Amino acid sequence: MTAEAPALTASAGHGEGHAPASGHAQRGISNPILGMLLFITSEVMFFSGLFAAYFSTRAANAPWPPDVFKDILDPLGPIIIATIILIASSFTCQFAVWSIRRGDRKGFVRNISITFVLGIIFLVMQVYDYTILFSEGMTLGSGPFGTTYFTLTGFHGAHVFGGVLMLGVILYRGMAGQFSAKHHDAVEAVSLYWHFVDIVWILLFSILYLL
Amino acid sequence: MATHALSPAAVPAYRGGLYEWLTTTDHKKIGIMYLINSFVFFLIGGIFALLVRTELAAPGIQLFTNEHVYNEAFSIHATVMIFLFIIPMLAGLGNYVVPLMIGAPDMAFPRINALSFWMLPLGGILLLAGFLTPGGAAAAGWTSYPPLSERGALASPGPGQDLWIVALILIGTSSILGGINFLVTIFKMRAPGLTLFRMPIMVWTMLVTSVLVVMATPVITSALVMLFIDRNYGGSFFLPDKGGTAVLYQNVFWFYSHPAVYVMVLPAMGVISEVLPVFSRKPLFGYKAFIFATAGIGALGFSVWAHHMFTTGAVFLPFFSLMTFLIAVPTGVKMFNWVFTLFRGQLTFSTPLIFAIGFLTMFLIGGINGAFSASVPIDFALQDTYWVVAHLHYVLFGGSVFGVFAGIYYWFPKMTGRMLSESLGKVHFVIMFIGFNLTFFPMHMLGIKGMPRRIADYASDAGWNDWNLLATIGGFMIAVSMLPFIWNVFVSLRNGKIAGDDPWEGNTLEWATSSPPPAYNFDRLPDIRSERPVFDARHGLNAGHGHAAIAAGGHGEAS
Amino acid sequence: MSTSPRKRPASEALVAGGVVVLLIAIVGIIFFTGAGSELYPPKPATVQAKEVASLYDLVFAIAVAIFVAVEGLIIWSILRYRRRPTDVDLPPQTHGNNFVEVLWTLIPTVIVLYLFAISWQTLNSVDYTSVANGQKPDVQIHVLAGQFQWQFEYLDANGKVVATQTKPLGEGGGMAVPVGKKVYVTLSSGDVIHAWYVPRFLFKRDVIPGQTNNFEFTVDPAEVGQTFRGQCAELCGTGHNAMQFQVVAMTQADYDAWLAKLVEAANATPVPPPSGAPVLALDAKNIAYDNRALEVPANAPFVIAFKNDDPSTITHDVDLRAADGTTVVANQDPIAGGTTAQYSYPALPAGTYQFFCSVHPGVAAMTGTLTVK
Repeated sequence: MTAEAPALTASAGHGEGHAPASGHAQRGISNPILGMLLFITSEVMFFSGLFAAYFSTRAANAPWPPDVFKDILDPLGPIIIATIILIASSFTCQFAVWSIRRGDRKGFVRNISITFVLGIIFLVMQVYDYTILFSEGMTLGSGPFGTTYFTLTGFHGAHVFGGVLMLGVILYRGMAGQFSAKHHDAVEAVSLYWHFVDIVWILLFSILYLL
Repeated sequence: MATHALSPAAVPAYRGGLYEWLTTTDHKKIGIMYLINSFVFFLIGGIFALLVRTELAAPGIQLFTNEHVYNEAFSIHATVMIFLFIIPMLAGLGNYVVPLMIGAPDMAFPRINALSFWMLPLGGILLLAGFLTPGGAAAAGWTSYPPLSERGALASPGPGQDLWIVALILIGTSSILGGINFLVTIFKMRAPGLTLFRMPIMVWTMLVTSVLVVMATPVITSALVMLFIDRNYGGSFFLPDKGGTAVLYQNVFWFYSHPAVYVMVLPAMGVISEVLPVFSRKPLFGYKAFIFATAGIGALGFSVWAHHMFTTGAVFLPFFSLMTFLIAVPTGVKMFNWVFTLFRGQLTFSTPLIFAIGFLTMFLIGGINGAFSASVPIDFALQDTYWVVAHLHYVLFGGSVFGVFAGIYYWFPKMTGRMLSESLGKVHFVIMFIGFNLTFFPMHMLGIKGMPRRIADYASDAGWNDWNLLATIGGFMIAVSMLPFIWNVFVSLRNGKIAGDDPWEGNTLEWATSSPPPAYNFDRLPDIRSERPVFDARHGLNAGHGHAAIAAGGHGEAS
Repeated sequence: MSTSPRKRPASEALVAGGVVVLLIAIVGIIFFTGAGSELYPPKPATVQAKEVASLYDLVFAIAVAIFVAVEGLIIWSILRYRRRPTDVDLPPQTHGNNFVEVLWTLIPTVIVLYLFAISWQTLNSVDYTSVANGQKPDVQIHVLAGQFQWQFEYLDANGKVVATQTKPLGEGGGMAVPVGKKVYVTLSSGDVIHAWYVPRFLFKRDVIPGQTNNFEFTVDPAEVGQTFRGQCAELCGTGHNAMQFQVVAMTQADYDAWLAKLVEAANATPVPPPSGAPVLALDAKNIAYDNRALEVPANAPFVIAFKNDDPSTITHDVDLRAADGTTVVANQDPIAGGTTAQYSYPALPAGTYQFFCSVHPGVAAMTGTLTVK
């Protein structure tokens, strides 16, 4: 009923914590991680809807990109740096998970801090990239090319922002010493989410810039 | 509620009634709040339905000042009934009974459960707030097809449509969180011995429903988001003159909204699959086949969306026609399972069973008249006529709503500790059953004779007058039938017969605890050796295991 | 001792059986007398519709058979197997029966596959068009849908528009077609989605902006002289219900004459307005008049120089009613977007009148007050 009610409360309402309710065998993965996997499934379906719209719109509009924006999306521009940064952050995030699995709290805090900062840098770079595109006249309202580009990258950016907030929370909790080798479901769950966000970006980058 | 022997220090000494309800994370209280909230929206949606029916009672524009208001009325009627009544009503029943049925103390994520609930009234208020905006509420139908929902002088231009989008995204998110919660609860929190193939059918249907919710709802969120961008930020997803595709929205929308039909009907099937065995004193006929049929419906449900789009000239007709026909097979399997559960049973005609039989007889019609629309050439004639209105109401009212009431009459004693009045329940059923058929059966005739949906007026010489008048009379009968129900609930809450733990001689675990159950549900659980643990505890383990395959032979006396 | 169903009194079985027989009898009476005709489609008016109607009859027969069988089984079970006070012991605990379960999976599968096959067959002839098969249709009509009116462009063999019918209803209006001829229709919309629907053709097709749909039909020669009611079937806004049209079936000779007259009218020089009559300018754009309060002198004919600035699919006109809003003073023919017209009106006594667009009745921005003094 309240967050602290022990024992008979469903163990899983909170990231870590209490032993499972007596008699309820905890088989396999824990509740928060299963919950996160299901949440990611629903996010995959959300992005699938947007991707379907992208391909449908692209098929209906030739040439793609339109002549006005012919070379505006340069895969070797600043965006490649942002991409590398996001991919790197996925690695540091995984290092953090491995640290806490070993019980290495310092390593965990260090790695998660790096991930957190890399996430923020990615967001800043994306905002910078947007300002360049805006200055060249490409906006949400400038035809299907702009609409799909900003919708897809915008929602990805929003997910990165959400991920950064989650990273901030586990960073704070990690610094407060709330995680241990045994109890760190929240870390596992957030890292799954962060990897998901990273994979979506790799897909986006491949489709928007390379394909 | 406010104290628990094991954790006296963790619970505040006293929590006032209202404060307790507003802050509760108990799945039972949240479930009851879901039910009350959904019922309130059922009444609101019903009022819009009555307005629509009153306008259509006779040719001419009588009730509304103009057709735009009429368009608002039916758009909000459908949106409220689907998103704020049926889906959350069934989610509420599931919320109450699923943890009880699997012997769990609560849902897996109690606080997320509370969040899921509170998003609903908020979404509902946002939706209805559209009426206060200039231009009124959303008026492009519950489907809100663009370009109509996006632009045009006479479309649905106002902020009401934006509120509609935001409300639906909110309600959808609530559904997704609820679905995740159900799945984790069902997968991770079952009592020892309760294997997957010993779960009550209600739990199975909630499981399949939740898979549909988690996988389909985000897709409509993406459609709504794109609609919002088109409307407000100059986007061009669905506007052909700006390079978009109008039919794209329909594809994305129905990719969700067809599975959503199963979200609206599977849990109701679950309810009657609990009620029929209990009141015929027999196990469900073909338990495993029923589960596979449920899973089959869920899987096929993702491949039939374009049967809502046969007349667009933009879909591959044979594939979607075939899939739509095929989905009739698992549905038919279930129908036979139910009927053969009744067959050779000992039926006690309590209100839950009567409503379940109402479901069987009416849902059968909703299944059969749906097969007409699966046939593409016939659908060319029927699409967007009143035939479709008849079909969807036979499924969603004749099916789901009768199922919902079966569930309410069945579990009310568990929720409150008191029985509902049987005689008032039967009055409710009779009026609602007759009213329902008076309202919706004539719509078949209207549709086949060519009356399109969503028109505010019709020519007096088109031959539609009598059927429309009859449908309107039936609509008011349905409204009247709610009075004995509401009266029943209020009277029985105070003066109803004390129910005891197990008034119906139930089969499943919720009947093994007190009525209403204590916080965290169970002090102890019976042994679970079959899908009917409470039946086993009552009659002995061997009672339920007569001879298995004796439907035809008839030598299956218990021990 | 257990009470097996067999030991139940025969009277229960008699009652249950009787009710089931009654159900079958009622259903039979309904469908084999005239009373069931309400559940059948209206008389099909095209070659294609006849095929759909016979498919419907077949599906309907199967549907009624399934309905009676299952509904009968339900009624039998609930009447026959009531629990009686003597039923203390449990009934047979039947968990299932593989044989009947396989049976009731296979038989419905066969039925739906059969329904699918015959539906597909009918679909192929309903969806057949000459154009898709490299042949020339006899008549080509391009239908333009806009809020809230239909226009019909008649095309010659080369696909060139020879005449446009802007009056979808009423005297001399509607879409005229010769009976017994293959009529190929293309559909396009300039604003929102509409649907071309004629109940007696048992057919509709959506009219979607950005996408040209097509279909073909041949009106049954027996229907010559008939007028078929048509209507928009996809919600298209406030005037959705007003978006009606007619299809008029003619002999080839009558059709040729009708079309020639339409062509002639399109090429005719407009009748000049009476000289000296006052001319008022009125524009329509975005489904709104630019001026909703007009003034003319009493007892003199006058002219409205009307300009429709909307897209070509959207038509407008300026009709006149007395102050009560119902008494007709003058009706004009609507004009397509991007065109102009000189509407002449008779001399009126002093007073106030209402003018409005007959394509957009009830739209406030398209109603105004004419003051005559």
